[in-house]
Amino acid sequence: MTFQDTPGVTGLRERIRSMIQSELTPDFLRAFVSSAEWQRQATAFCKRLAGERLLTFAWSEEYGGAGATKWEQTALREEFWSAHEPRGAQYMGVNWVGPVIMHFGTEAQKHKHLTEIAAGEEVWCQGFSEPEAGSDLASLQLSASREDDGSFRANGQKIWTSYAAFANWCFLAARTSRGSSKHQGITIFLVPMDRAGITVRPIEAMIGANHLNEVFFDDVVLHEDEVLGEVDRGWDVIDVVLKHERVGIARYARSDRILCDLWPAVQSASGPGSAELRSAHARELVHARVARLLSYRTLVTTENGDMPNQPSVARIGSTLLDQRVAEVAMEAAGPDAIDASEDAALGGWAEDAWRYSRSSTIASGTTEIQRLLASRAMVDQG
Amino acid sequence: MERPWPDEALDFEAGVRGALQRAGGVDLARRSEADPSVRAAVVKPILDELGIRDLDLGGGETEAAATALAVAAAGAFVCPWPLVQQLAVPATLRGEVGAVYLRDGVVRRAEHLDIVGRAAAVDIVTHEAQALRMLDGAGPFVSPMALDPFGVRCELSAESFELAALVPAHVVLAAFWTVGALGTARDLAVEHARDRQQFGRRIADFGAVQWHLSDIALAHDGLWELAGFSLARLIDQTLTVADTLALQYLMLESAQSVFIHAHQVLAAIGLCDEHDLTVLERHVQPLLRRPCGITRTLGLLAEEVARSGFDNLYPIPATMPAKDRGHRGGEMQLANDGGGLV
Repeated sequence: MTFQDTPGVTGLRERIRSMIQSELTPDFLRAFVSSAEWQRQATAFCKRLAGERLLTFAWSEEYGGAGATKWEQTALREEFWSAHEPRGAQYMGVNWVGPVIMHFGTEAQKHKHLTEIAAGEEVWCQGFSEPEAGSDLASLQLSASREDDGSFRANGQKIWTSYAAFANWCFLAARTSRGSSKHQGITIFLVPMDRAGITVRPIEAMIGANHLNEVFFDDVVLHEDEVLGEVDRGWDVIDVVLKHERVGIARYARSDRILCDLWPAVQSASGPGSAELRSAHARELVHARVARLLSYRTLVTTENGDMPNQPSVARIGSTLLDQRVAEVAMEAAGPDAIDASEDAALGGWAEDAWRYSRSSTIASGTTEIQRLLASRAMVDQG
Repeated sequence: MERPWPDEALDFEAGVRGALQRAGGVDLARRSEADPSVRAAVVKPILDELGIRDLDLGGGETEAAATALAVAAAGAFVCPWPLVQQLAVPATLRGEVGAVYLRDGVVRRAEHLDIVGRAAAVDIVTHEAQALRMLDGAGPFVSPMALDPFGVRCELSAESFELAALVPAHVVLAAFWTVGALGTARDLAVEHARDRQQFGRRIADFGAVQWHLSDIALAHDGLWELAGFSLARLIDQTLTVADTLALQYLMLESAQSVFIHAHQVLAAIGLCDEHDLTVLERHVQPLLRRPCGITRTLGLLAEEVARSGFDNLYPIPATMPAKDRGHRGGEMQLANDGGGLV
């Protein structure tokens, strides 16, 4: 049994940390930097990663990757997420868009998209959620009706679409027919965001300007060669997407880093409540370690195909940790916690962490859905 | 980060689980509670036949893994024998000390003290270890639904030992014992949620029950993972005082969570002594309540983090040099070279 990084993984971590330090300004580590500056830094960082074959490090060499081991991939995810994901929106292309295209794509789709994702050229958004289809994704209504020439016309609305304002491609789920169940009749399209008829409207939100958008589709033409997988069998694709998404974020690593960054303030706290603050901080150190271990177990058992509830259990642990750690940060910052200015306690970043943490139990599958999946797997296993 | 359990250890665990199941499972605890002599007459021969009491946590990786898994298997039935206290003592020392208990200052009761022979209690703060002496008419007394069913009244004697290094072994084994019991509690809750019908459907289909089950899974699985991690560090001789306190803390927190949620799923039937859940919960209490509770443990952990740091992905640095940390600052491990304690 060993729980230690190999020397190779340790070296990789050091390399990434050094790269982050040299490429990004310190305020990149906040969710509320200006959109243009944030995007500029993320793009430049991805280009550098691509140049060193680190952007698609996990992919096989056939697709421009380096065939990294699962632990090297894990180290990368941890390092990126603990630095507020310096790949910006491109993490999606690398984590799940590319792998899903490898799985379902035509040779032409693979050639085009995998090459450009690996080069840091493509930014993707996920066109899944709709006003009436959130957790119940299969109820989506955006329609793509077939035309006589074999193309489709898309009409409808997506919402909560992260990074849509930056994206040049959309991984769009649309309803192409009505099957006997709502999971049937869905089709996935790979759509350029500059296509006529697509309108993006950013939504101001407490979690940061880049995160939530509405995307409207008005008579948008979708070509037959933009279908990923089979027409009407899009749920098969979505199923694979969700599996990739669940292991794609090392959320606990960010909590771990925040706890470390908080330590000077926690350590030096004095007066009423300081002992309780140190206890709360210590408790979350334990939970951060556990969240990491649960995620590691998921990596191993997912490969083995057993313990189907474990991705959800790990995810619940990580997301709850995120929110509790943010509360500790707010406590540590004291009355200044709600002040975002740089001369406030902790440089004003506590409130940033706290606001962002509000989304952790909602984004990429709500806690309720994870609890449903976890408990269902337990009950069905027996 | 790869951590497959050795096949030999897994086989041994399966053997322990099967033997205890055939001997009555949780009923062994019930019988022993009603008649404490069942422990020596029935339980001890089973354990000796299996060879559990010969295991040595310091006997190398496979034997350490077998010890931990066997203790978890025994914990799954709250097997009425002080395996944690006995197996925390390295084989080379068992001639001198038959069992080790943890204390936080005074000690007034110790479970199974009447059957362990010579025993000592180690203070979790000062690490001073002294022999335990049973008081006259000390018990265990047969009392219905006790939370300390095999508790024996005792006091510290003047005889002292050097047993500080046994604290982490005790905590690691206690965590495995507890997670074994929590696994059974989880299985009982899941089985009930699957079988129990209300409002025309199984209660597992209700969101509130799913919430309870997922909290049970999170608490159980988290403790299982941290116990395995801590065991690996114990074997590698890298387990720190802070690591040990972190495990002790999580053991208490996880037990609270699993039992509270399991009771909610099982409702009234889970409170009945004829149901295994209540026996599991009552019999695991001595390891959860002694030497101290969750608030005290967390406070000790916070103090230790301030002294010696905490090794996470982004580590908390030690604020005090190792040489200045005194009795609580040194790393505590079991030697696995057969040489006793370090």
